[in-house]
Amino acid sequence: MTKDMLSVTGGTKIFYGGTLDERRALDGLDVSLKPGDFCIVIGSNGAGKSSFLNAVSGKLPLDSGRITIDGQDVTRLNAHRRAQFIARVFQDPMIGTAPTMTIGENMLLAELRGKPRGFSYGLSAARRQKYSQQLAELNLGLEKRLDMQVGLLSGGQRQSLSLVMAVSTRPKLLLLDEHTAALDPRTAKLVMDTTVRAVEALQLTTLMVTHNMEHAIRYGNRIIMMDAGKVLVEIGQEEKNGITVADLIERFHTKSDAIALQGA
Amino acid sequence: MDVFTSFYGLIPVTIAQSLIVSFVVLGVMLPFRILNFPDLTSEGAFPLGGCVCGTLISIGINPFLACFIALLCGFAAGCTTAFIHLRFKINTLLAGILVMTMLYSINLRIMGRTNIPLFTYDTVFTILAGPSANFPWTKILIVGLLIALVVGAMLYFFMSEKGTAMRAVGASPDMAEAQGINVGTATIIGVGAASALSATGGSIMVQTQGFADVNMGFGILINGLAALIIGEAITGRQTIFRQVLAPVIGSLVYYQLISFCLTLGLAPADLKFATGAFVLLMLALPNLRRSSGGIQIREKIRE
Repeated sequence: MTKDMLSVTGGTKIFYGGTLDERRALDGLDVSLKPGDFCIVIGSNGAGKSSFLNAVSGKLPLDSGRITIDGQDVTRLNAHRRAQFIARVFQDPMIGTAPTMTIGENMLLAELRGKPRGFSYGLSAARRQKYSQQLAELNLGLEKRLDMQVGLLSGGQRQSLSLVMAVSTRPKLLLLDEHTAALDPRTAKLVMDTTVRAVEALQLTTLMVTHNMEHAIRYGNRIIMMDAGKVLVEIGQEEKNGITVADLIERFHTKSDAIALQGA
Repeated sequence: MDVFTSFYGLIPVTIAQSLIVSFVVLGVMLPFRILNFPDLTSEGAFPLGGCVCGTLISIGINPFLACFIALLCGFAAGCTTAFIHLRFKINTLLAGILVMTMLYSINLRIMGRTNIPLFTYDTVFTILAGPSANFPWTKILIVGLLIALVVGAMLYFFMSEKGTAMRAVGASPDMAEAQGINVGTATIIGVGAASALSATGGSIMVQTQGFADVNMGFGILINGLAALIIGEAITGRQTIFRQVLAPVIGSLVYYQLISFCLTLGLAPADLKFATGAFVLLMLALPNLRRSSGGIQIREKIRE
């Protein structure tokens, strides 16, 4: 049996604990990903999808539970320490890149993610050439604009850049947080296609949160449906083939209703 | 043309002064522009540098060593402000005001009185230039070389791997963290370095003016901000080169403008009001012409 690339066991995060406003963002969450898994995370608002991603990235420290990446316990590591394993593309194109810095400088920041940074000159000629090659694969002409400020790019261009920055280091884990949600449909498709190409070419273990049911069905090899901070339904590779949007919504509702009835 | 001859005569003295204040303007620029951390510590770090340096020189410590100790004290003051903000989630401006206020007492305690005259002691300038130490051009040469060195070092740093990471912390803290950068450490070191620059400015100032005073540099922060804004209007902010050059250019131009206004008859008492009004106008301008198009990069100030 192959080792898990990501494993979350008993992940629990409670906000406002002990008060009337107590909210369990994550409630004994158990998820594990095999190397190369492309797992889609769906669920209604407040189901805990973002908390899940934030817990994995280290932005949200768990109250209890354990997280390992490639066998290494990272539960107590800060977000910036976990960056050596994890790359992330945010929903907001403004957050995932440094707007007042140039494309080349952003690529440099990504290349040195989780590695020691020294006092040597950053954007050497060799690096510029490497970044140009990496960016050329996007076919957006960014490779000729290494010295342009990222803030001047469109949302789609910035998300594409974010993606290249994320995958260029071959992270052990790629987190995609509704990374096409803020884009128009055409650009979203472009970014999604680039995502799939990169994930498949590099065999990256990926967690993708989405609200788009069609994306959930079309991409990836597994689906996790979350509700109330837990995994509600897991759909594996075989089952996933041939499933429709209607099926997905149907299953989600039956389960939620069943739980609602149990609770009553 | 009496006005112009007196203004002309003042040019070298003003250049010397503006070069010294460039340290403070660099110390204002770094947190404001690079780290997105509006910081007021400079207002306290400048006299701190002066008081520490003045006291040490008056008890016979080598002036170079005195400057270096002043620099370290400034660094500690800046680190304190950043730490207060990061650890206790206190607004950056308030954290700066707290440190600045407490520094006033500390400065008094260090000196033991409000004023220490240094005319009879050796300074960095008398050691380097001997009897010609008091000529404005000597000061311009020495401080100018030093500022060139500092600007060059800052430029190199901000283009290095570490410096790029520090700039990312100001540009987008979330992104910086996701790229494995320790946002807290970078902020503390950056704000500390900025106050170290301001303190260095203070330590040089006391040696050129011949005394250290606990009230020196009152309002230096707004002067620094005004100089920074003028500098940025001239050089622009598109590249790190322009951004680091702006404080020095701005300081040189700003103090000539002040000197010109004073020779024209502006009452010194009105100077702070005029400076404040100018800074206000420059900061308000983008909002006054809200309708104008063009690409604007949104600026977010950290809470």
